[in-house]
Amino acid sequence: MSWSDVLLILGGLGAGFLSGTIGIGGGLLFVPTMTIGFGLSQAVAQGTSLVAIIPTAIVGGVTHLRQGNVLLGPALWMGGGGVVGAVIGALVAVEVPGPILARFWGAFLVFSAYRLGLQAFKASPKTA
Amino acid sequence: MLVPLQVLWAQVPQRYANANSLVAIIPIAIAALPIYYFRKGSPQVDLHVAVFLVIGSVVGAYAGARLLRRIPERELKIAVALVLGVVGIKELLLP
Repeated sequence: MSWSDVLLILGGLGAGFLSGTIGIGGGLLFVPTMTIGFGLSQAVAQGTSLVAIIPTAIVGGVTHLRQGNVLLGPALWMGGGGVVGAVIGALVAVEVPGPILARFWGAFLVFSAYRLGLQAFKASPKTA
Repeated sequence: MLVPLQVLWAQVPQRYANANSLVAIIPIAIAALPIYYFRKGSPQVDLHVAVFLVIGSVVGAYAGARLLRRIPERELKIAVALVLGVVGIKELLLP
């Protein structure tokens, strides 16, 4: 085992931890870890990330279920809807240039971050 | 995407939104994997990297999921906003 393998484990540990607490798919964190940290191409990083997400989400998801953090109905509906969305998205993604797609995605994330930040700083007792 | 949609539009508390999202990702990732795998023609997966990444990430995901209940709603929201903001700015500037 080389030092880069140790760094990969540490990178996975950090990404997995954020995945477990923040709930975002590993992809959001795994892909930059592999492209920026380890110089993998975007295509290989995305494919590898999809493989890594599955066991990470299973372990995190089962732990959340045991901890009583999950509203099972909405989670299953989102999972079902997400499967349909993933198939449509995979077909659309081929037709739309990557950078345009990335900018739309980035704008959505920045807008969401701004709205969540506003909610956090205006937090009322109802949401606490 | 699932986390902000639940919190901002469906008013789901942050803790549940984060956990629901991780559960919902399981079928989505399983469905997306073969699509990605076959559309690209040749498999674009680095199994060596995946194995070591997963060794760390499953431990991290377990620890993170155990810790979630102890993090207050407001701090959780700020953490999510920070991560989404940083990744969003990166996608906008370096797509």
